[in-house]
Amino acid sequence: MGKNKVFNVAVFFVVFRECLEAVIIVSVLLSFLKQAIGSKDKKLYKKLVFQVWTGVVTGFIICLAIGGGFIGAYYRYQNDIFGNAEDLWEGIFCMVATIMITMMGIPMLRMNKMQSKWRVKIAKSLVEKPERKRDYFRLGFLARRYAMFILPFITVLREGLEAVVFVAGAGITTQGSVATAYPLPVFVGLIAGGIVGFLLYYGASRSSLQVFLVISTGILYLISAGLFSRGAWYFENYRFNKATGGDASESGDGNGSYNIKKAVYHINCCNPELDNGWDIFNALLGWQNTGYLSSILCYNFYWLALIIALSLMIYEERNNHLPFFKNLQMKHLNPGYWLKNKKANEMTREQELELLNRVDDLEFDDDGIIVEKQVVSGSNKEDSFYDDGMGKSSHAESKDQSDIKVNTDTLD
Amino acid sequence: MTLTAMTKLLLVASFFSFTSAQTHTFNWTTGWGTYNVDGVKGREVITCNGEYPWPDVRVSKGDRVEIYLNNGFTDANTTLHVHGLFLKGQNQFDGPPFLTQCPIAPGDTMLYNFTVEDNIGTYWYHSHTAGQYQDGFKGKFIIEDTENFPYEYDEEVTLEIGEWYHKTSGELMPAFMNLFNPTGAEPIPQNLIINNTMNLTWNVEPDTTYLVRLVNTGGFVSQYFWIEDHNMTVVEVDGVFTERNTTDMLYLTIAQRYSFLLTTKSDTSKNFAIMQKFDDTMLDIIPSDLQLNATSYLTYNSDADKPSENFVDSIDDYLDDFYLVPYNKTELYDEADYRITLDLQMDNLIDGINYAFFNNITYTTPKVPTLMTVLSAGEEATNAAIYGTNTNSFVLEKDQIVDIVLNNLDTGKHPFHLHGHTFQTIWRDRPYDADAGEDPHPFDDDDVDSFPQYPMMRDTIYVNPQSNFVIRFKADNPGVWFFHCHIEWHTIQGLAIVLIEDPESIQAESSQALTQNSIDVCNNVGVLYQGNAAGNIADYTDLTGQNIQQKSIPSGFTAKGVVAMTFSCLAGILGLLTIAVYGLMEMPDVEQKVIKELDIPLTELISNK
Repeated sequence: MGKNKVFNVAVFFVVFRECLEAVIIVSVLLSFLKQAIGSKDKKLYKKLVFQVWTGVVTGFIICLAIGGGFIGAYYRYQNDIFGNAEDLWEGIFCMVATIMITMMGIPMLRMNKMQSKWRVKIAKSLVEKPERKRDYFRLGFLARRYAMFILPFITVLREGLEAVVFVAGAGITTQGSVATAYPLPVFVGLIAGGIVGFLLYYGASRSSLQVFLVISTGILYLISAGLFSRGAWYFENYRFNKATGGDASESGDGNGSYNIKKAVYHINCCNPELDNGWDIFNALLGWQNTGYLSSILCYNFYWLALIIALSLMIYEERNNHLPFFKNLQMKHLNPGYWLKNKKANEMTREQELELLNRVDDLEFDDDGIIVEKQVVSGSNKEDSFYDDGMGKSSHAESKDQSDIKVNTDTLD
Repeated sequence: MTLTAMTKLLLVASFFSFTSAQTHTFNWTTGWGTYNVDGVKGREVITCNGEYPWPDVRVSKGDRVEIYLNNGFTDANTTLHVHGLFLKGQNQFDGPPFLTQCPIAPGDTMLYNFTVEDNIGTYWYHSHTAGQYQDGFKGKFIIEDTENFPYEYDEEVTLEIGEWYHKTSGELMPAFMNLFNPTGAEPIPQNLIINNTMNLTWNVEPDTTYLVRLVNTGGFVSQYFWIEDHNMTVVEVDGVFTERNTTDMLYLTIAQRYSFLLTTKSDTSKNFAIMQKFDDTMLDIIPSDLQLNATSYLTYNSDADKPSENFVDSIDDYLDDFYLVPYNKTELYDEADYRITLDLQMDNLIDGINYAFFNNITYTTPKVPTLMTVLSAGEEATNAAIYGTNTNSFVLEKDQIVDIVLNNLDTGKHPFHLHGHTFQTIWRDRPYDADAGEDPHPFDDDDVDSFPQYPMMRDTIYVNPQSNFVIRFKADNPGVWFFHCHIEWHTIQGLAIVLIEDPESIQAESSQALTQNSIDVCNNVGVLYQGNAAGNIADYTDLTGQNIQQKSIPSGFTAKGVVAMTFSCLAGILGLLTIAVYGLMEMPDVEQKVIKELDIPLTELISNK
């Protein structure tokens, strides 16, 4: 039914976004390496860079394989799964996709936040100490030896699988989507994400990058609002088709193809399912040639909710709390926050300051990394830290232990 | 040929003479009862004097027929129409409510009192009130003129075929004219019936020629009809004798009649299948449990096995009635004085219901039956405007030759019936299929080199999908006549026009004057019998208050839509602006926030120090 057999816009944006995240991970790791060894030991540096890329590529290929299989299976069994209730399912998927895109879109606007998030995460994973000592001689040894492989591998795999879920979710919600509509947007999304990541890494002007991100996030939210509206539209259509015995969907875009009692507008053309070109407007803006009251309200309320949420975030970022409530922040509004009893874990002001200093060090002295600032015998530690990576066999065992000490000292 | 036939006929029927015109009086009371027509499911049917099925009427040419129709329903009006009668000078007994009469109210009686002067052959009667004839209010109406029957036969048999629903029209109609039936999908019948049953056994004698009067009294589906291993020689269609035409298969739309000669075999060892088949192209969906074929039994020998279902290689070779030639060889009428061009369309109006249109008008009943407007309008009667803007009324002059050009823009076949006339079918185009890249084909004079010299004449004819036909008739029967799709569902949807034929003669002829009974019927049901379509007596051109169809659906954006679009665009733009503001805003204390959000067990980290 659908004409869009080649390019699935939602898929493109999801891939782009996830790719961006992966690129940030890699770039953080690379800058980490660069600063840590850089010109000091070119051979080692190259080796570790190679490890990073191998990890990224391996994780990526596995994701593609899983994603491909998943989507292939979906389209193979699609009809069996959905049967007559297809509109109902499309509506549900639209809604789910809206939620997913909404959640992942905003962080894209905080690239620096995203970057620092990954910096902290990576730093954490680098300094984490195992529970039991003997583990260092087993998996831990390998893990350390190939940390620069495993870290990006695991990260890309995890992010990638998330992307698979998103891509599948976004893709199947696109009207009349077919499996052939996947490869191209995935490919283009990867390239675009790669380019942005490249610019990021090689320090393109921060502001122009930010503008670029704002634009792509804007488009992402246009899609998301459209999806939300389409979700409502599908529910309406499902109900109408159920009442008519599934008969209306065959009647093209003319009179009788929609429930006139609930339609706010209808034009006898430009049906995204039937008329060439309009499916792009459908994918981008949620266009339908029938505007049901519910779908229009959903569209407007979606934006309204987003505007309110963003305004609150803007306010909070400026004032560190939500308007009118001095002790209330966004996270407090999340029920999960209370469920996980985060409040109990919250640090005292003192602790927080102390920690922040430490992490600030870790963060802002990224150039010298952890070791440089806080370690007693800087150069030595630095070397030993990376001894693992080099795999110097003769010293391996003892070095390992010293490393661990160092690291423990360093961070804890 | 004619001569030999005539001499033989004189031998067959010499007892009857012209002068012995009789009066046949019927007293019918409608009602409801339960009857199992198809042997599958009993259901409520409309009964006649408490019985079912309705009786057949058999009269002779020139006889008088008096039918007292008592409305025995408690909650529904009714009417009676004898299909195909010319009713010259007797228009008020034709039957359609709000056209030639007022509907008969519950408990009321109308006398249909007419002579059958000009019709011979196979006819049928039915209620002309929506849905009633599909509930069983119908029967055959045979007008004999044995002296002038042009062909020889031994026995006569009538076969009444049709389709049958397990639900009553009362249940089907509200669901049909419904917001949730936006495509106007006609209800799917459950079975094909024959002589009000299924799997009929017809015992025949060997070496006998039967005259079979085959009538499709269904309300919806056309049927293919054939008899295994037997030929049928068609001699009459819709009350018009034809030259012999032998075929293996007939195709009957509803309301059509074919009389054919069937000569039985000498060998009585085997029985043969009589087959009926749905024209399933008329069905919107074909339910998996719908039997498209129905088998009856042409039985020579009741001890022999019943025949099994008969299959044919093709159903395309049915008799094309266009090529039949009237027995009396009526020549093509002269060039038309008046051409009515009708574009048929099905579409939805603002209430979401699917209607049928001729030239964008769906027939909507006037407040005063049109014939009564003619009779009360005086000199204004020749002004088509007084009959309302929503009735598709055309005024014809005396003895005009009229062409009706019908362009079917719909994808379905439609059987059209003209009341009060037989018409010449001078052109019928092949089916067209837009999905196969063909254009729906309106009639174009250039398509036709010449019309047939002796065009086939009948009173019901189908138009092919997305195609067209041209019929020609002479306006020599003063009266108000319907031209409508006989599919009951489509009549309900308003697929009809009104021909007001020679209104001055209607007024002039005393036999056309309303009987007191006709007026009483109006009074009893509370319908005006004077005035224009709006019931206005003072000024016949003032149509204020007339019944009109629902509004059309606007094709583009309405004010509501513009508002919705504006708000949506505004919401989108504001949202994008907010995103931009947020996205371009500098974010202070990034690291602090990150650590908080990441939920790293920093307390642990600190304590470990």
